[in-house]
Amino acid sequence: MRFQLVDWIILLLYLGLSVFVGLWVKRYVENMEGYFVAGRRVKIALGSATLIATEIGIVTFMYLGEIGYVTGFSCFVLGITGLIGFIVIGKTGFVISSLRRLKVMTIPEYYELRYSRGVRLIGGIVLFFAGVLNMGIFLRMDGIFLTETMGFSSDVLTPVMIIMLLIVISYTVLGGMISVIVTDFLQFVILTFGMLTATVFVLLEVDLTAIAEAVTREMGEEGVNPFINPKFGWTFIIWMLVGSICTSALYQPVASKSFASENPEVGRKLFLIAGLTLAGRYMIPMFWGVAALAFFGPDLSPTMAMPKLLGTVVPSGFLGLMIAGMLAASMSTYSAYMLAWSSVAARDIIPPILHKDMGERTTMLTSRVISILIGIFILVFGLWYELPATAFQYIAITGAMYSAGAFGCIAFGLYWKKANVVGAYASLILGAVAPLAFLVLSQIQNVIPEYFHFLIDVNVSGFLSFLLAALGMVAGSLFTQQAYPPRHLQPQE
Amino acid sequence: MTSATIFWLVLFGLSAVLFFVTAAIITVVGVRDLKDLLRKTEVTK
Repeated sequence: MRFQLVDWIILLLYLGLSVFVGLWVKRYVENMEGYFVAGRRVKIALGSATLIATEIGIVTFMYLGEIGYVTGFSCFVLGITGLIGFIVIGKTGFVISSLRRLKVMTIPEYYELRYSRGVRLIGGIVLFFAGVLNMGIFLRMDGIFLTETMGFSSDVLTPVMIIMLLIVISYTVLGGMISVIVTDFLQFVILTFGMLTATVFVLLEVDLTAIAEAVTREMGEEGVNPFINPKFGWTFIIWMLVGSICTSALYQPVASKSFASENPEVGRKLFLIAGLTLAGRYMIPMFWGVAALAFFGPDLSPTMAMPKLLGTVVPSGFLGLMIAGMLAASMSTYSAYMLAWSSVAARDIIPPILHKDMGERTTMLTSRVISILIGIFILVFGLWYELPATAFQYIAITGAMYSAGAFGCIAFGLYWKKANVVGAYASLILGAVAPLAFLVLSQIQNVIPEYFHFLIDVNVSGFLSFLLAALGMVAGSLFTQQAYPPRHLQPQE
Repeated sequence: MTSATIFWLVLFGLSAVLFFVTAAIITVVGVRDLKDLLRKTEVTK
Protein backbone atom coordinates (compact mmCIF):
# COMPACT_ATOMS: atom_id res chain seq x y z
CA MET A 1 0.00 0.00 0.00
CA ARG A 2 1.65 3.23 -1.18
CA PHE A 3 -0.92 5.52 0.42
CA GLN A 4 0.05 6.01 4.08
CA LEU A 5 -1.70 7.48 7.14
CA VAL A 6 -0.23 10.96 6.59
CA ASP A 7 -1.57 10.93 3.01
CA TRP A 8 -5.02 9.99 4.27
CA ILE A 9 -4.97 12.83 6.79
CA ILE A 10 -4.05 15.37 4.09
CA LEU A 11 -6.68 14.00 1.71
CA LEU A 12 -9.47 13.96 4.31
CA LEU A 13 -8.59 17.50 5.41
CA TYR A 14 -8.88 18.68 1.82
CA LEU A 15 -12.18 16.87 1.20
CA GLY A 16 -13.60 18.21 4.46
CA LEU A 17 -12.54 21.75 3.56
CA SER A 18 -14.10 21.46 0.07
CA VAL A 19 -17.44 20.29 1.43
CA PHE A 20 -17.43 22.94 4.16
CA VAL A 21 -16.61 25.81 1.77
CA GLY A 22 -19.06 24.59 -0.89
CA LEU A 23 -21.93 24.33 1.58
CA TRP A 24 -21.07 27.54 3.43
CA VAL A 25 -21.22 29.54 0.22
CA LYS A 26 -24.70 28.27 -0.68
CA ARG A 27 -26.18 30.97 1.58
CA TYR A 28 -25.21 33.50 -1.10
CA VAL A 29 -27.58 32.03 -3.71
CA GLU A 30 -30.33 34.60 -3.95
CA ASN A 31 -32.09 33.98 -7.30
CA MET A 32 -31.82 32.21 -10.65
CA GLU A 33 -29.11 34.55 -11.98
CA GLY A 34 -27.16 33.96 -8.79
CA TYR A 35 -27.60 30.18 -9.09
CA PHE A 36 -26.67 29.85 -12.79
CA VAL A 37 -24.19 32.70 -13.43
CA ALA A 38 -23.16 33.93 -9.94
CA GLY A 39 -25.00 37.22 -10.43
CA ARG A 40 -22.55 38.12 -13.26
CA ARG A 41 -20.06 39.59 -10.78
CA VAL A 42 -16.92 37.56 -11.49
CA LYS A 43 -13.66 39.44 -12.17
CA ILE A 44 -10.67 38.46 -14.31
CA ALA A 45 -8.36 36.55 -11.95
CA LEU A 46 -11.16 34.65 -10.22
CA GLY A 47 -12.83 33.92 -13.56
CA SER A 48 -9.55 32.68 -15.05
CA ALA A 49 -8.95 30.39 -12.07
CA THR A 50 -12.41 28.89 -12.31
CA LEU A 51 -12.18 28.52 -16.11
CA ILE A 52 -8.83 26.73 -15.84
CA ALA A 53 -10.05 24.54 -12.96
CA THR A 54 -13.10 23.55 -15.03
CA GLU A 55 -10.90 22.54 -17.94
CA ILE A 56 -8.53 20.44 -15.85
CA GLY A 57 -9.72 17.21 -14.28
CA ILE A 58 -8.28 13.79 -13.55
CA VAL A 59 -9.83 12.67 -16.83
CA THR A 60 -7.81 15.40 -18.60
CA PHE A 61 -4.62 14.19 -16.92
CA MET A 62 -5.53 10.62 -17.82
CA TYR A 63 -6.19 11.11 -21.52
CA LEU A 64 -3.26 13.50 -21.94
CA GLY A 65 -0.97 11.12 -20.04
CA GLU A 66 -2.25 8.20 -22.11
CA ILE A 67 -1.63 10.00 -25.38
CA GLY A 68 1.86 11.02 -24.17
CA TYR A 69 2.68 7.36 -23.43
CA VAL A 70 1.40 6.25 -26.85
CA THR A 71 2.67 9.05 -29.12
CA GLY A 72 5.71 10.56 -27.37
CA PHE A 73 6.52 14.22 -27.90
CA SER A 74 4.29 14.39 -31.02
CA CYS A 75 1.22 14.98 -28.87
CA PHE A 76 2.69 18.25 -27.57
CA VAL A 77 1.33 19.77 -30.79
CA LEU A 78 -2.15 19.62 -29.18
CA GLY A 79 -0.94 22.11 -26.57
CA ILE A 80 0.04 24.45 -29.39
CA THR A 81 -3.29 24.14 -31.26
CA GLY A 82 -5.23 24.69 -28.02
CA LEU A 83 -3.11 27.69 -27.12
CA ILE A 84 -3.72 29.25 -30.55
CA GLY A 85 -7.48 28.69 -30.16
CA PHE A 86 -7.73 30.37 -26.76
CA ILE A 87 -5.40 33.25 -27.67
CA VAL A 88 -7.39 33.99 -30.85
CA ILE A 89 -10.64 34.05 -28.83
CA GLY A 90 -9.01 36.06 -26.04
CA LYS A 91 -7.67 38.69 -28.45
CA THR A 92 -10.70 38.99 -30.74
CA GLY A 93 -13.60 38.06 -28.43
CA PHE A 94 -14.75 35.72 -31.24
CA VAL A 95 -18.29 34.57 -30.37
CA ILE A 96 -17.88 34.93 -26.61
CA SER A 97 -18.08 38.75 -26.38
CA SER A 98 -21.26 38.86 -28.47
CA LEU A 99 -22.91 36.12 -26.40
CA ARG A 100 -22.00 37.88 -23.14
CA ARG A 101 -23.46 41.16 -24.47
CA LEU A 102 -26.73 39.37 -25.15
CA LYS A 103 -26.82 38.32 -21.45
CA VAL A 104 -27.75 34.71 -22.11
CA MET A 105 -27.26 32.10 -19.36
CA THR A 106 -27.01 29.08 -21.65
CA ILE A 107 -25.86 28.62 -25.28
CA PRO A 108 -29.28 27.38 -26.52
CA GLU A 109 -30.89 30.62 -25.26
CA TYR A 110 -29.10 32.29 -28.13
CA TYR A 111 -30.75 29.85 -30.56
CA GLU A 112 -34.19 31.10 -29.53
CA LEU A 113 -33.18 34.76 -29.77
CA ARG A 114 -31.63 34.37 -33.24
CA TYR A 115 -33.69 31.52 -34.74
CA SER A 116 -36.69 29.98 -32.95
CA ARG A 117 -37.87 28.15 -29.83
CA GLY A 118 -37.71 24.87 -31.79
CA VAL A 119 -34.01 25.37 -32.57
CA ARG A 120 -33.42 26.06 -28.87
CA LEU A 121 -35.11 22.77 -28.00
CA ILE A 122 -33.21 20.70 -30.58
CA GLY A 123 -29.93 22.50 -29.78
CA GLY A 124 -30.51 21.95 -26.07
CA ILE A 125 -31.20 18.24 -26.57
CA VAL A 126 -28.06 17.72 -28.73
CA LEU A 127 -25.96 19.74 -26.27
CA PHE A 128 -27.32 17.90 -23.24
CA PHE A 129 -26.86 14.39 -24.61
CA ALA A 130 -23.44 15.03 -26.19
CA GLY A 131 -22.32 16.76 -22.99
CA VAL A 132 -23.47 13.99 -20.69
CA LEU A 133 -21.98 11.32 -23.01
CA ASN A 134 -18.73 13.30 -23.05
CA MET A 135 -18.75 13.25 -19.27
CA GLY A 136 -19.57 9.53 -19.20
CA ILE A 137 -15.99 8.29 -19.01
CA PHE A 138 -14.79 10.81 -16.43
CA LEU A 139 -15.52 8.70 -13.37
CA ARG A 140 -14.00 5.59 -14.84
CA MET A 141 -10.76 7.40 -15.65
CA ASP A 142 -10.74 8.96 -12.20
CA GLY A 143 -11.23 5.56 -10.58
CA ILE A 144 -8.33 4.04 -12.54
CA PHE A 145 -6.09 6.98 -11.65
CA LEU A 146 -6.88 6.78 -7.96
CA THR A 147 -6.52 3.02 -7.65
CA GLU A 148 -3.21 3.05 -9.55
CA THR A 149 -1.64 5.96 -7.67
CA MET A 150 -2.96 5.05 -4.25
CA GLY A 151 -2.15 1.36 -4.69
CA PHE A 152 -5.66 -0.05 -4.19
CA SER A 153 -7.09 -3.09 -5.97
CA SER A 154 -9.72 -2.53 -8.67
CA ASP A 155 -12.43 -3.77 -6.22
CA VAL A 156 -12.46 -0.39 -4.53
CA LEU A 157 -13.02 1.47 -7.81
CA THR A 158 -16.80 1.74 -7.41
CA PRO A 159 -16.84 2.99 -3.80
CA VAL A 160 -14.12 5.54 -4.62
CA MET A 161 -16.19 6.81 -7.55
CA ILE A 162 -19.41 7.00 -5.51
CA ILE A 163 -17.85 8.92 -2.59
CA MET A 164 -16.25 11.49 -4.90
CA LEU A 165 -19.49 11.97 -6.79
CA LEU A 166 -21.57 12.39 -3.63
CA ILE A 167 -19.32 15.19 -2.37
CA VAL A 168 -19.49 17.08 -5.66
CA ILE A 169 -23.25 16.65 -6.04
CA SER A 170 -23.85 17.93 -2.51
CA TYR A 171 -22.31 21.35 -3.02
CA THR A 172 -23.17 21.76 -6.72
CA VAL A 173 -26.85 20.99 -6.17
CA LEU A 174 -27.17 23.24 -3.14
CA GLY A 175 -24.93 26.16 -4.03
CA GLY A 176 -25.08 26.48 -7.82
CA MET A 177 -22.56 28.70 -9.61
CA ILE A 178 -21.48 30.63 -6.50
CA SER A 179 -20.43 27.37 -4.81
CA VAL A 180 -18.85 26.16 -8.04
CA ILE A 181 -16.77 29.34 -8.42
CA VAL A 182 -15.60 29.51 -4.82
CA THR A 183 -14.72 25.80 -4.65
CA ASP A 184 -13.15 26.06 -8.13
CA PHE A 185 -10.79 28.71 -6.81
CA LEU A 186 -9.79 26.59 -3.83
CA GLN A 187 -9.41 23.61 -6.13
CA PHE A 188 -7.37 25.62 -8.65
CA VAL A 189 -4.80 26.48 -5.97
CA ILE A 190 -4.60 22.88 -4.72
CA LEU A 191 -4.48 21.30 -8.18
CA THR A 192 -1.68 23.65 -9.27
CA PHE A 193 0.29 22.59 -6.21
CA GLY A 194 -0.48 18.93 -6.99
CA MET A 195 0.76 19.35 -10.57
CA LEU A 196 3.94 21.04 -9.37
CA THR A 197 4.57 18.26 -6.83
CA ALA A 198 4.08 15.53 -9.42
CA THR A 199 6.28 17.24 -12.03
CA VAL A 200 9.13 17.85 -9.59
CA PHE A 201 9.21 14.20 -8.49
CA VAL A 202 8.96 12.90 -12.07
CA LEU A 203 11.93 15.12 -13.05
CA LEU A 204 13.89 13.93 -9.99
CA GLU A 205 13.30 10.25 -10.76
CA VAL A 206 13.30 10.09 -14.56
CA ASP A 207 16.25 11.53 -16.45
CA LEU A 208 15.46 13.82 -19.41
CA THR A 209 18.02 12.04 -21.57
CA ALA A 210 16.40 8.69 -20.77
CA ILE A 211 13.01 10.13 -21.77
CA ALA A 212 14.34 11.44 -25.08
CA GLU A 213 16.09 8.11 -25.80
CA ALA A 214 12.96 6.09 -24.97
CA VAL A 215 10.88 8.12 -27.44
CA THR A 216 13.50 7.73 -30.19
CA ARG A 217 13.96 4.01 -29.47
CA GLU A 218 10.27 3.04 -29.22
CA MET A 219 8.71 5.39 -31.78
CA GLY A 220 11.45 6.76 -34.03
CA GLU A 221 10.46 9.78 -36.11
CA GLU A 222 6.74 9.28 -35.23
CA GLY A 223 7.50 10.18 -31.62
CA VAL A 224 8.70 13.68 -32.50
CA ASN A 225 6.84 14.51 -35.71
CA PRO A 226 3.05 14.77 -35.27
CA PHE A 227 2.46 15.08 -39.01
CA ILE A 228 3.69 11.55 -39.71
CA ASN A 229 2.41 9.98 -36.48
CA PRO A 230 -0.51 7.66 -37.44
CA LYS A 231 -2.55 8.81 -34.40
CA PHE A 232 -2.45 12.39 -35.68
CA GLY A 233 -1.49 13.50 -39.19
CA TRP A 234 -2.59 16.62 -41.05
CA THR A 235 -6.33 15.85 -40.81
CA PHE A 236 -6.32 15.56 -37.04
CA ILE A 237 -4.13 18.61 -36.49
CA ILE A 238 -6.27 20.79 -38.77
CA TRP A 239 -9.44 19.46 -37.06
CA MET A 240 -7.96 20.31 -33.65
CA LEU A 241 -6.82 23.77 -34.77
CA VAL A 242 -10.15 24.67 -36.39
CA GLY A 243 -12.00 23.10 -33.48
CA SER A 244 -9.97 25.05 -30.91
CA ILE A 245 -10.63 28.40 -32.53
CA CYS A 246 -14.24 27.77 -33.49
CA THR A 247 -15.56 25.89 -30.50
CA SER A 248 -13.50 26.58 -27.38
CA ALA A 249 -15.93 29.34 -26.46
CA LEU A 250 -19.02 27.32 -27.36
CA TYR A 251 -18.84 24.61 -24.73
CA GLN A 252 -21.45 25.38 -22.06
CA PRO A 253 -19.26 24.59 -18.99
CA VAL A 254 -16.56 26.89 -20.39
CA ALA A 255 -18.87 29.56 -21.82
CA SER A 256 -20.81 29.75 -18.54
CA LYS A 257 -17.69 31.18 -16.86
CA SER A 258 -17.70 34.01 -19.38
CA PHE A 259 -21.48 34.51 -18.90
CA ALA A 260 -20.75 34.87 -15.15
CA SER A 261 -18.12 37.59 -15.73
CA GLU A 262 -18.90 41.18 -14.81
CA ASN A 263 -18.80 42.48 -18.41
CA PRO A 264 -18.01 41.31 -22.00
CA GLU A 265 -14.44 42.65 -21.78
CA VAL A 266 -13.72 40.52 -18.71
CA GLY A 267 -15.41 37.55 -20.42
CA ARG A 268 -12.98 37.90 -23.35
CA LYS A 269 -9.89 38.34 -21.17
CA LEU A 270 -10.65 35.12 -19.26
CA PHE A 271 -9.83 33.25 -22.46
CA LEU A 272 -6.61 35.19 -22.99
CA ILE A 273 -5.29 34.36 -19.52
CA ALA A 274 -6.55 30.77 -19.59
CA GLY A 275 -4.88 30.53 -23.04
CA LEU A 276 -1.50 31.52 -21.63
CA THR A 277 -1.64 28.47 -19.36
CA LEU A 278 -3.07 26.08 -21.93
CA ALA A 279 0.13 24.74 -23.51
CA GLY A 280 1.53 24.07 -20.04
CA ARG A 281 -1.54 22.37 -18.63
CA TYR A 282 -1.68 20.10 -21.70
CA MET A 283 2.03 19.34 -21.91
CA ILE A 284 2.63 18.66 -18.19
CA PRO A 285 0.44 15.50 -18.01
CA MET A 286 1.61 14.51 -21.51
CA PHE A 287 5.17 14.74 -20.21
CA TRP A 288 4.27 12.46 -17.27
CA GLY A 289 3.00 9.96 -19.87
CA VAL A 290 6.22 10.16 -21.91
CA ALA A 291 8.23 9.78 -18.69
CA ALA A 292 6.19 6.64 -17.89
CA LEU A 293 7.33 5.20 -21.23
CA ALA A 294 10.96 5.79 -20.26
CA PHE A 295 10.44 4.45 -16.72
CA PHE A 296 8.39 1.31 -17.42
CA GLY A 297 8.91 0.62 -21.14
CA PRO A 298 6.15 0.22 -23.75
CA ASP A 299 4.36 -2.88 -22.41
CA LEU A 300 2.01 -1.36 -19.83
CA SER A 301 -1.62 -0.46 -20.44
CA PRO A 302 -1.40 3.10 -21.84
CA THR A 303 -4.23 4.20 -19.55
CA MET A 304 -2.49 2.95 -16.42
CA ALA A 305 1.12 3.87 -17.18
CA MET A 306 1.06 7.53 -16.11
CA PRO A 307 -0.82 7.09 -12.79
CA LYS A 308 1.39 4.10 -12.01
CA LEU A 309 4.46 6.31 -12.51
CA LEU A 310 3.12 9.02 -10.21
CA GLY A 311 2.18 6.44 -7.58
CA THR A 312 5.74 5.08 -7.78
CA VAL A 313 7.88 8.24 -7.83
CA VAL A 314 5.91 10.55 -5.51
CA PRO A 315 6.78 9.72 -1.86
CA SER A 316 4.32 9.35 1.00
CA GLY A 317 3.17 12.70 2.38
CA PHE A 318 3.57 14.38 -0.98
CA LEU A 319 1.36 11.63 -2.46
CA GLY A 320 -1.53 12.83 -0.27
CA LEU A 321 -0.98 16.39 -1.47
CA MET A 322 -0.83 15.29 -5.09
CA ILE A 323 -3.98 13.15 -4.83
CA ALA A 324 -5.79 16.05 -3.12
CA GLY A 325 -4.71 18.22 -6.06
CA MET A 326 -5.94 15.69 -8.60
CA LEU A 327 -9.26 15.23 -6.76
CA ALA A 328 -9.59 19.01 -6.63
CA ALA A 329 -9.12 19.12 -10.40
CA SER A 330 -11.83 16.53 -10.93
CA MET A 331 -14.32 17.95 -8.49
CA SER A 332 -14.16 21.38 -10.11
CA THR A 333 -14.76 19.80 -13.51
CA TYR A 334 -17.70 17.70 -12.30
CA SER A 335 -19.38 20.57 -10.55
CA ALA A 336 -19.09 22.88 -13.57
CA TYR A 337 -20.28 20.20 -16.01
CA MET A 338 -23.19 19.09 -13.84
CA LEU A 339 -24.37 22.65 -13.38
CA ALA A 340 -23.93 23.38 -17.10
CA TRP A 341 -25.88 20.36 -18.37
CA SER A 342 -28.59 20.56 -15.73
CA SER A 343 -29.09 24.26 -16.48
CA VAL A 344 -29.49 23.44 -20.19
CA ALA A 345 -32.08 20.75 -19.39
CA ALA A 346 -33.96 22.96 -16.90
CA ARG A 347 -33.97 26.10 -19.04
CA ASP A 348 -33.74 24.94 -22.67
CA ILE A 349 -35.34 21.48 -22.90
CA ILE A 350 -38.09 21.06 -20.33
CA PRO A 351 -39.90 24.46 -20.65
CA PRO A 352 -40.28 24.22 -24.47
CA ILE A 353 -41.60 20.66 -24.12
CA LEU A 354 -44.11 21.69 -21.42
CA HIS A 355 -44.97 24.89 -23.35
CA LYS A 356 -44.74 27.04 -20.20
CA ASP A 357 -42.34 29.15 -18.17
CA MET A 358 -41.56 27.24 -14.98
CA GLY A 359 -40.59 30.19 -12.75
CA GLU A 360 -37.32 30.69 -10.87
CA ARG A 361 -37.84 28.29 -7.95
CA THR A 362 -39.10 25.41 -10.11
CA THR A 363 -36.27 25.93 -12.63
CA MET A 364 -33.65 25.80 -9.86
CA LEU A 365 -35.30 22.73 -8.28
CA THR A 366 -35.44 20.99 -11.68
CA SER A 367 -31.78 21.79 -12.28
CA ARG A 368 -30.87 20.29 -8.90
CA VAL A 369 -32.81 17.07 -9.57
CA ILE A 370 -31.21 16.74 -13.02
CA SER A 371 -27.73 17.20 -11.52
CA ILE A 372 -28.40 14.18 -9.30
CA LEU A 373 -29.69 12.14 -12.27
CA ILE A 374 -26.58 13.05 -14.29
CA GLY A 375 -24.45 11.82 -11.40
CA ILE A 376 -26.27 8.45 -11.36
CA PHE A 377 -25.96 8.15 -15.14
CA ILE A 378 -22.21 8.78 -15.30
CA LEU A 379 -21.66 6.30 -12.50
CA VAL A 380 -23.50 3.53 -14.39
CA PHE A 381 -22.08 4.51 -17.81
CA GLY A 382 -18.54 4.77 -16.44
CA LEU A 383 -18.70 1.21 -15.13
CA TRP A 384 -19.76 -0.58 -18.33
CA TYR A 385 -18.85 1.45 -21.44
CA GLU A 386 -15.86 0.22 -23.48
CA LEU A 387 -13.90 2.99 -25.17
CA PRO A 388 -13.75 2.68 -29.00
CA ALA A 389 -10.61 4.85 -29.31
CA THR A 390 -8.16 6.57 -26.99
CA ALA A 391 -9.84 8.54 -24.20
CA PHE A 392 -8.67 11.77 -25.84
CA GLN A 393 -10.36 10.87 -29.10
CA TYR A 394 -13.57 9.80 -27.32
CA ILE A 395 -13.69 13.19 -25.59
CA ALA A 396 -12.98 14.96 -28.88
CA ILE A 397 -15.64 13.06 -30.85
CA THR A 398 -18.43 13.48 -28.27
CA GLY A 399 -17.47 17.15 -28.03
CA ALA A 400 -17.69 17.44 -31.83
CA MET A 401 -21.21 15.95 -31.77
CA TYR A 402 -22.43 19.14 -30.14
CA SER A 403 -19.84 21.74 -30.99
CA ALA A 404 -19.91 21.28 -34.77
CA GLY A 405 -23.61 22.19 -34.89
CA ALA A 406 -23.17 24.93 -32.30
CA PHE A 407 -20.37 26.41 -34.39
CA GLY A 408 -22.69 26.43 -37.41
CA CYS A 409 -25.54 28.06 -35.49
CA ILE A 410 -23.63 30.55 -33.36
CA ALA A 411 -20.65 31.64 -35.46
CA PHE A 412 -22.77 31.92 -38.61
CA GLY A 413 -25.64 33.42 -36.61
CA LEU A 414 -23.42 36.15 -35.20
CA TYR A 415 -21.32 36.91 -38.27
CA TRP A 416 -23.49 35.99 -41.30
CA LYS A 417 -26.70 37.93 -41.86
CA LYS A 418 -28.29 35.25 -44.04
CA ALA A 419 -28.23 32.53 -41.35
CA ASN A 420 -31.82 31.42 -40.77
CA VAL A 421 -33.86 28.84 -38.88
CA VAL A 422 -33.65 26.14 -41.61
CA GLY A 423 -29.87 26.47 -41.76
CA ALA A 424 -29.76 26.18 -37.95
CA TYR A 425 -31.74 22.92 -37.91
CA ALA A 426 -29.59 21.50 -40.74
CA SER A 427 -26.38 22.51 -38.98
CA LEU A 428 -27.35 20.99 -35.62
CA ILE A 429 -28.50 17.71 -37.12
CA LEU A 430 -25.73 17.27 -39.71
CA GLY A 431 -23.07 18.26 -37.16
CA ALA A 432 -24.15 15.42 -34.87
CA VAL A 433 -24.48 12.72 -37.57
CA ALA A 434 -20.82 11.83 -38.20
CA PRO A 435 -19.77 11.61 -34.50
CA LEU A 436 -22.91 9.62 -33.66
CA ALA A 437 -22.21 7.25 -36.57
CA PHE A 438 -18.68 6.82 -35.24
CA LEU A 439 -19.85 5.96 -31.72
CA VAL A 440 -22.44 3.45 -32.93
CA LEU A 441 -20.48 1.86 -35.80
CA SER A 442 -17.29 1.49 -33.76
CA GLN A 443 -19.22 -0.80 -31.40
CA ILE A 444 -20.25 -3.09 -34.30
CA GLN A 445 -17.30 -2.62 -36.65
CA ASN A 446 -16.91 -6.37 -37.30
CA VAL A 447 -20.29 -6.60 -39.02
CA ILE A 448 -20.34 -3.41 -41.12
CA PRO A 449 -19.30 -3.36 -44.80
CA GLU A 450 -15.76 -2.29 -45.70
CA TYR A 451 -16.89 0.88 -47.52
CA PHE A 452 -18.35 2.32 -44.28
CA HIS A 453 -15.06 1.90 -42.43
CA PHE A 454 -14.00 5.50 -43.12
CA LEU A 455 -16.74 6.50 -40.65
CA ILE A 456 -14.93 4.69 -37.84
CA ASP A 457 -11.79 6.74 -38.39
CA VAL A 458 -12.16 9.14 -35.46
CA ASN A 459 -10.21 11.91 -37.21
CA VAL A 460 -12.24 11.76 -40.42
CA SER A 461 -15.47 11.64 -38.42
CA GLY A 462 -14.55 14.67 -36.32
CA PHE A 463 -13.44 16.74 -39.28
CA LEU A 464 -16.52 15.71 -41.26
CA SER A 465 -18.83 16.91 -38.47
CA PHE A 466 -17.60 20.51 -38.83
CA LEU A 467 -17.74 20.40 -42.61
CA LEU A 468 -21.30 19.03 -42.63
CA ALA A 469 -22.48 21.52 -39.99
CA ALA A 470 -21.12 24.47 -41.99
CA LEU A 471 -22.53 23.11 -45.26
CA GLY A 472 -25.91 22.52 -43.61
CA MET A 473 -26.06 26.09 -42.37
CA VAL A 474 -24.99 27.66 -45.68
CA ALA A 475 -27.11 25.48 -47.97
CA GLY A 476 -30.15 25.45 -45.65
CA SER A 477 -30.11 29.23 -45.29
CA LEU A 478 -29.42 30.14 -48.91
CA PHE A 479 -32.17 27.91 -50.31
CA THR A 480 -34.86 29.17 -47.91
CA GLN A 481 -34.21 32.94 -47.57
CA GLN A 482 -37.62 33.88 -49.01
CA ALA A 483 -39.73 31.45 -47.00
CA TYR A 484 -37.78 31.92 -43.73
CA PRO A 485 -36.24 35.41 -43.59
CA PRO A 486 -33.39 35.71 -41.06
CA ARG A 487 -33.97 37.36 -37.68
CA HIS A 488 -31.42 39.98 -36.54
CA LEU A 489 -30.46 40.84 -32.97
CA GLN A 490 -29.39 43.98 -31.15
CA PRO A 491 -26.95 43.49 -28.24
CA GLN A 492 -28.36 44.49 -24.82
CA GLU A 493 -25.32 46.49 -23.64
CA MET B 1 19.37 13.89 -28.08
CA THR B 2 18.15 14.89 -31.53
CA SER B 3 17.26 18.49 -32.39
CA ALA B 4 13.57 17.51 -32.52
CA THR B 5 13.56 16.14 -28.96
CA ILE B 6 15.46 19.21 -27.71
CA PHE B 7 12.86 21.43 -29.43
CA TRP B 8 9.95 19.66 -27.69
CA LEU B 9 11.69 19.60 -24.29
CA VAL B 10 12.48 23.32 -24.46
CA LEU B 11 8.90 24.03 -25.51
CA PHE B 12 7.65 21.89 -22.61
CA GLY B 13 9.89 23.78 -20.17
CA LEU B 14 8.71 27.19 -21.35
CA SER B 15 5.05 26.14 -21.31
CA ALA B 16 5.32 24.63 -17.82
CA VAL B 17 7.01 27.75 -16.41
CA LEU B 18 4.38 30.00 -18.04
CA PHE B 19 1.63 27.85 -16.51
CA PHE B 20 3.00 27.95 -12.96
CA VAL B 21 3.88 31.66 -13.04
CA THR B 22 0.44 32.61 -14.42
CA ALA B 23 -1.20 30.33 -11.84
CA ALA B 24 0.71 32.03 -9.02
CA ILE B 25 -0.40 35.50 -10.18
CA ILE B 26 -4.02 34.35 -10.62
CA THR B 27 -3.98 32.91 -7.09
CA VAL B 28 -2.79 36.14 -5.49
CA VAL B 29 -5.14 38.45 -7.44
CA GLY B 30 -7.97 35.90 -7.29
CA VAL B 31 -8.19 36.11 -3.49
CA ARG B 32 -9.00 39.83 -3.84
CA ASP B 33 -11.62 39.09 -6.53
CA LEU B 34 -13.16 36.39 -4.37
CA LYS B 35 -13.52 38.75 -1.38
CA ASP B 36 -15.07 41.31 -3.70
CA LEU B 37 -17.57 38.78 -5.11
CA LEU B 38 -18.74 37.68 -1.68
CA ARG B 39 -18.92 41.24 -0.37
CA LYS B 40 -21.21 42.27 -3.22
CA THR B 41 -23.41 39.20 -2.92
CA GLU B 42 -26.10 39.33 -0.28
CA VAL B 43 -26.53 36.51 2.22
CA THR B 44 -30.04 35.12 1.83
CA LYS B 45 -30.27 32.41 4.51
